[in-house]
Amino acid sequence: MTGPDMFHLGWFGSFIPTTWQSGWDGTDAGRWMDGTFYVDKVRTLERACFDFILFEDSSMVSDVYGGSSEATLKRGGWAPKGDPVALAPILARATEHIGISVTMSTSFYPPWMLARSVATLDHMSRGRIGWNIVTSSEDLAARNFGMDALPPHDERYARADEYVDLVTRLWDSWDADALVMDRERGVYVDHTKVRPIDFVGKYYKSRGPLNTLRPPQGRPVLTQAGGSPAGRQFASRYADMVMALPKGVPAMKEYRDDIRMRVAAEGRDPDQTKVMYVVSPILGETHQHALDRKAAKDEAVRQHPEGQLIGWSGSMEIDFSTFDLDKPLPDDVATNGHQSTLANFRKWAGDRTLREACVAYRTESMELIGTPDEVAAQMGEAMEEVGGDGFLIWNQPHNRRYIGEIADGLVPALQNRGLMRTGYTHEHFRDNLLEF
Amino acid sequence: MTTVEAAKFHLAWFKSFTPHDWRSTWSGSEERDWMTGDSHVDFLRALERARFDFLMLEDSLMVSDTYGGTAEASLAQGGYAPKGDPALLASMLLSETKRIGVIATMSSTFVPPWLLARTSATIDHLSGGRFGWNCVTSSENRAAQNFGMDALPPHDERYERAAEYVEVVKQLWDSWEPDAFVMDQESGTYVDHTKVNPIHFEGRWHRSRGPLNLMRPPQGHPVICQAGGSPAGKAFAAGNADVLLSLPKGLPDMKRYRDDIRELAEKAGRDPDDIKVLFIISPILADTDDEARELQAMMNSDVEAKIKAQMVNWSATMEIDFSRFDLDRPLPDDAVTNGHQSTLATFRKFANGRTLREAFTAYRTEAIEVVGSPATAADTLQEAMEFVGGDGFLVMGPTNRRYVHEITDGLVPELQRRGLVRTEYAGTHLRDHLREF
Repeated sequence: MTGPDMFHLGWFGSFIPTTWQSGWDGTDAGRWMDGTFYVDKVRTLERACFDFILFEDSSMVSDVYGGSSEATLKRGGWAPKGDPVALAPILARATEHIGISVTMSTSFYPPWMLARSVATLDHMSRGRIGWNIVTSSEDLAARNFGMDALPPHDERYARADEYVDLVTRLWDSWDADALVMDRERGVYVDHTKVRPIDFVGKYYKSRGPLNTLRPPQGRPVLTQAGGSPAGRQFASRYADMVMALPKGVPAMKEYRDDIRMRVAAEGRDPDQTKVMYVVSPILGETHQHALDRKAAKDEAVRQHPEGQLIGWSGSMEIDFSTFDLDKPLPDDVATNGHQSTLANFRKWAGDRTLREACVAYRTESMELIGTPDEVAAQMGEAMEEVGGDGFLIWNQPHNRRYIGEIADGLVPALQNRGLMRTGYTHEHFRDNLLEF
Repeated sequence: MTTVEAAKFHLAWFKSFTPHDWRSTWSGSEERDWMTGDSHVDFLRALERARFDFLMLEDSLMVSDTYGGTAEASLAQGGYAPKGDPALLASMLLSETKRIGVIATMSSTFVPPWLLARTSATIDHLSGGRFGWNCVTSSENRAAQNFGMDALPPHDERYERAAEYVEVVKQLWDSWEPDAFVMDQESGTYVDHTKVNPIHFEGRWHRSRGPLNLMRPPQGHPVICQAGGSPAGKAFAAGNADVLLSLPKGLPDMKRYRDDIRELAEKAGRDPDDIKVLFIISPILADTDDEARELQAMMNSDVEAKIKAQMVNWSATMEIDFSRFDLDRPLPDDAVTNGHQSTLATFRKFANGRTLREAFTAYRTEAIEVVGSPATAADTLQEAMEFVGGDGFLVMGPTNRRYVHEITDGLVPELQRRGLVRTEYAGTHLRDHLREF
């Protein structure tokens, strides 16, 4: 089922409405909150042998763009958004093999609560849960939680560092063999195998122990995204999978080499941290057909660049509606949010106008356009050059047709080339992720 | 003689996300993988088949080491810990059923309000309006210490905080108007932003800007459930709850409690029929009354074990080390708790000067004793409801499959034949079930 050239596939998305204006959206955009679409989606991805599905999250309705939530809500996509943690049990019940990673913010969840929720999910899924660690980056979200603003960027990572340490200790507060169920002596759990942790850190305190059994994976899979030095350092200490967005194959290789070097410097085996790149393949029956679809998409963005601008406004907390669309981004713009996103944006945009930047911008590491077999070949070549470890498909557009193109078109092409698994070897998410 | 149709009452079940019943003769083999939720799905389907209103999932957030100063007794017994996150179980259970509701406990002291509002809104959407929140203020310092505090706020302050907390949460649910979701292809409008507004909540204890990032839940407000017998707890419940788990024991106290709540609700400007008061029962059923009584005697025969189990549980919830007390003397006067105050007060009243051994031997959690054949048990329940006035019962008992089926396939059909409980669901939302009669 596995081979020497294989890499991993994951799916990156949110618990949000499907697209609703594409002409191929069925009735899902009105019913997505009943979970049916997501159950079908995760089953499709399991059939296609994806390692995992990952849900990002955010905790606000952005009103940065134009100083109003109008544009955000009118289009949908950023909000409404459901709680992916509450969706996860349903997806776990509907599947047997695929990993499910959910985003939870270290800035907003009490650590003990997070540790227990994730442990519970790991049990419900029989060892297939991942926690996608974010520190959150929007002051607007902080204000929903009673704070005036988030701590500065680097302090958030210092806190997150302590947070993950604490959560890991809580998972470890129950030994794997604490459950003895000795009917004769009347002992369900051996109390000598359950211990307080008495954690007193700079930012967090927790006595412990957790009140639930040790998660089946011991430590559920930890996933993370972060391009800044603090983010990379954090990832290298904890992450089993790093979600990455460097642009172009040389940058992808450089990024992965850097992460592996940092992981090794932390005393960990670099093979224990997988680097996966975000892509949104555009597929067609013929090469020309795929190119046409890309051209049509580009033109749609040129006519209506707001979608992209709203996204940037929300994630960087900069009101992009105030800028001239036909000029580049002014030099004096700053953010407390995704620093590396802004820096990368500037570096990449150069002197493009904002409109052309919207057209050219891709939330992906490399452009993949063509027939399924052509794209499979491009992916294989990139991985050969970079060294590993796989791709995260970002839903574009978010509907059944696109998911089907990937699962039933691209995946078989990858499997034919021996680039992707054709079955699951292990029971646990981490074991599959670290299999190759 | 004219036949008068009997007034219907409600049925629900009370349980934690814990092992089912690992020590009984009928525990099956599910006691190692109960955390997958699979056996709970079967359990909820049985309750739905019997047309229960809801399953209520209790919660606590600690491993207790009060009894004897160690976690030994508490963990050996099981039941209190290990325990999984009930909101997550609720989501799974609801996805495997169509009509029955599930209420999950979440603490107003520990969960950030915005998070709670969103999680419960999400589950209410996923279930098509069948979710409820059991609002507790938590009662253990050990839990507070897991959340970085040294101790809980004092009992009555917790209720003041909770009242404000419920207010923020309701405002967050209301921050999306029912018709905000338009999905208008022509104007390209998915959500009408004029119907989604910040709440700018600035309270004494809680702040939240809002709005929520999710559409209004199908029920508007998911059902709110509460248990509280103290004056502060009752006032809070009368103002906010759709359903109450009630602690009083014996018909006169049950009636007094329900009348009280209804009066308080009316004073708070609510229709008293909008609050249902449910009483805890643990029926002991058998083919004949004699056999049932024999069973009861067997269950109570190990007096020492029964007393210890009760003391271990109360040590956990009240954070009073019951192992220190002389069983042959009454409960000392200086034993006080910041936790379950009304439980302790009820117990004192019940003990009435008796020794702890005597009091614990006689003590029961359930409001009334229900022992006998299904027909006899149905008589008992029917008479109780006729005396009290309503509104139903919350079954608390081992959830091994045998016991569950004795209730759902023995007792319930008998109640249905008498027209005392529903035979079909009328509404689709949990609140519809509660207000059906």
